[in-house]
Amino acid sequence: MTGRVLHAHLHLLDRQVVRADGRLLCKVDDLEIEPGEAPYVTAILAGPLALGPRVGGVVGRLMTGTTRLFRPEEDPAPRRVPMSLVSEIGSAVTVGGDVPEAALERWVRERLIDPLPGSGGADPGLGAPRPVRRAEVPDRDRLSSLVGRRVVDRDGAPVGQVADVQLTQDGPLLGESTQALRLSGLVVAPRHTGQLLGYERGPGGNSPALVRVVIRRLHRGSRFVSWEQIGDPGDPITLTEPRAALLPLTELFEPR
Amino acid sequence: MRRVLVALLLVAGCASPAWNDADYGKKAGATAEAAASSVALVRLAVESEAKLTRPYLQTLLTETATALDSVDSQFGAVQPPSRRAAEVRAEITELTSEAAEQVQVLLNEVRLREIRDPERAAADLGDLADRLRAFAEEHPS
Amino acid sequence: MKRFFAVTLGILTAIGGFVDIGDLVANALVGSRFGMSLAWVVVVGVVGICLFAEMAGRVAAVSGRPVFDLVRERLGPRAGLLNLAASFGINLLTLAAEIGGAALALELATGIDYLLWVPAVGLVAWLVMWRVRFETMERVFGLAGLALVVFLVAFFALGPDYGELGHQLTHNPSDDGAATYWFYAVALLGAAMTPYEVFFFSSGGVEERWTRRDLGVMRANVFVGFPLGGLLSIAIAACAATVFLPRMIEVDTLGQMVLPAGLAFGQIGLALVVFGVFAATFGATLETALSSGYSISQYFGWQWGKYVRPREAARFHATLLVSTIVAVALILTTIDPIKVTEYSLVFSAAALPLTYLPVLMIANDPDYMGDRVNGRFSNTLGTAYMILLLVVAVAAVPLMLATKAGQ
Repeated sequence: MTGRVLHAHLHLLDRQVVRADGRLLCKVDDLEIEPGEAPYVTAILAGPLALGPRVGGVVGRLMTGTTRLFRPEEDPAPRRVPMSLVSEIGSAVTVGGDVPEAALERWVRERLIDPLPGSGGADPGLGAPRPVRRAEVPDRDRLSSLVGRRVVDRDGAPVGQVADVQLTQDGPLLGESTQALRLSGLVVAPRHTGQLLGYERGPGGNSPALVRVVIRRLHRGSRFVSWEQIGDPGDPITLTEPRAALLPLTELFEPR
Repeated sequence: MRRVLVALLLVAGCASPAWNDADYGKKAGATAEAAASSVALVRLAVESEAKLTRPYLQTLLTETATALDSVDSQFGAVQPPSRRAAEVRAEITELTSEAAEQVQVLLNEVRLREIRDPERAAADLGDLADRLRAFAEEHPS
Repeated sequence: MKRFFAVTLGILTAIGGFVDIGDLVANALVGSRFGMSLAWVVVVGVVGICLFAEMAGRVAAVSGRPVFDLVRERLGPRAGLLNLAASFGINLLTLAAEIGGAALALELATGIDYLLWVPAVGLVAWLVMWRVRFETMERVFGLAGLALVVFLVAFFALGPDYGELGHQLTHNPSDDGAATYWFYAVALLGAAMTPYEVFFFSSGGVEERWTRRDLGVMRANVFVGFPLGGLLSIAIAACAATVFLPRMIEVDTLGQMVLPAGLAFGQIGLALVVFGVFAATFGATLETALSSGYSISQYFGWQWGKYVRPREAARFHATLLVSTIVAVALILTTIDPIKVTEYSLVFSAAALPLTYLPVLMIANDPDYMGDRVNGRFSNTLGTAYMILLLVVAVAAVPLMLATKAGQ
């Protein structure tokens, strides 16, 4: 049985996370993965400590730096929303259960908004527990650390760099009945050409025609690498096969 | 204060350092053009003064008076490069200060009560606008 | 009656986009300098904003996701942050200008210096955002802004020379260079398609809890609101072309641009037009302030909106409060509000593709839209506008430098 197939960048990263009752929670700023033979996604990471490294550069460092400065812990970590709570992945990611709100939201409410007249008054129902965090999430456990990494084939010849990560929902059980999203493949672009913006997909990513032509042309020569073709998932990622044996990306959007 | 700023911006285009006679003439022409536009506008408002409210007239005239005043003093502060340019300056500053003065008089009248003789004021302003335009034509920018 | 009230979101959005403080003066200035020869730009702008607002509204109704969610999702965190920085900066400048504009309107009505009104306008605007329901807000200020229709009536009452105005449609009466003409063309297009209009419109759709069933209401909003805004801005230019152009008067202040209504209808016309200007600029104040809150909250994934109590959207309301204070402080430095918007218009023209490309892409994404994806017509026109916007974005800043901002 094959599970649902998603692309991390296209379907998950940067989407809005909402609670079951429709209130907005955070963004999918990054994903935490459990490394191993068959790595899978364990949690959504959110907040500036997850977003900062993805933004990168001075602005990204500023984001993480300021956050670290104001956090009491020794090794502050981004907020984790376990994947077992995710009930739906659509135009937004819906989570069930009791997810604590962001520390900044709490702080702003208690220090600034509640004291103002007419704010809606203190409501004990919202006095949610403080966010629970574990120690810092190391870089290698973040999905974003894969993106942009160089890929070389069996003989050491360069293939390109990782543009997106394919996820298949057939991993180990999370919670009672949800299967984890397993990392099942990589989309490798020959040079740094940015995101694929959904135009690598089948019949769906087809219009407008001019945009499609431009973006597919930018990504011509992109390859799809299945997880089984990866020899050493280090940096650079080394494959077990020669470049010629890889499926061209066109297979994904023009299935024969 | 804002009007000073408007005026400064207006002047910034017309009265940055001038190097030769031709440039100086052009700047003088542009200044006259802008002043003529202001004067013509005041004339238009004065002609139909009966239709307009006092706070409105007062705001409009204050705006124009401040703008004209600054044009006048700013242009006067630019050192003319030659005797010929000095004559041009004398001519244009005379016109702009006359404009500033007329508008100021009207403003004072509005502040006190109302414009005493709108018809005559309009005629004077029309005459002044014509002279400014003639000057601008002599010194095309 | 209920049906009529249903389109007030579109009207308020369009008034903030087409006849806010910068546009009021820019339209009059253009009319007094170039006659009707730039009216075509407004038409191009109306078609463009209708097209993209319809897409953004459709995405909001079908998927519940407002525009800045789409920007972040398609452009990724880096380009999204760049767009956020640009849009937020433009929004804040525009907000400052609108507060200044509302205060200027009060000065025209009372004769009391506008700087004294600025803190009061800021405070009232914040109170409205803090306490008043979204629907009430959009109805009151959308409808009040309609007082500007007086420009349209005034135009006919002034007895214009239709032949001459018609001739100007195709012949530029000004002797200024082509660069200046195109600078104003870019500024007017930027004004018609400012990104905060789609931020506000799509977020407003979410605030009103639009669903698939409301697509008809959404379209009515788009196709009533924006053409009305465009019509008002053409009317302002036409009044200026009738009154000021033949007398060779160039208008560049708010006080000057309302004069045609006074000439046509006397004190009543003047009172109406000043009221309309106040309502339009105050409405635009709310629109830009809320848009700054919407864009930053949607980028970072914070709870936003007036559909929850302020304490449940604490960071959103904190953004509104801080933006309003900063904008009031900015305008109290006596910086000229009209100059501020003229510059911010040009910069926003340069940032347009970053906002409209993700909207175009997601309106085609079946994950979001199901069977409501763009048709061939929207896509063809959308692609043509993307090319136009790219050209405008590239040309905007060089034109501004070359013409010293249109002098």
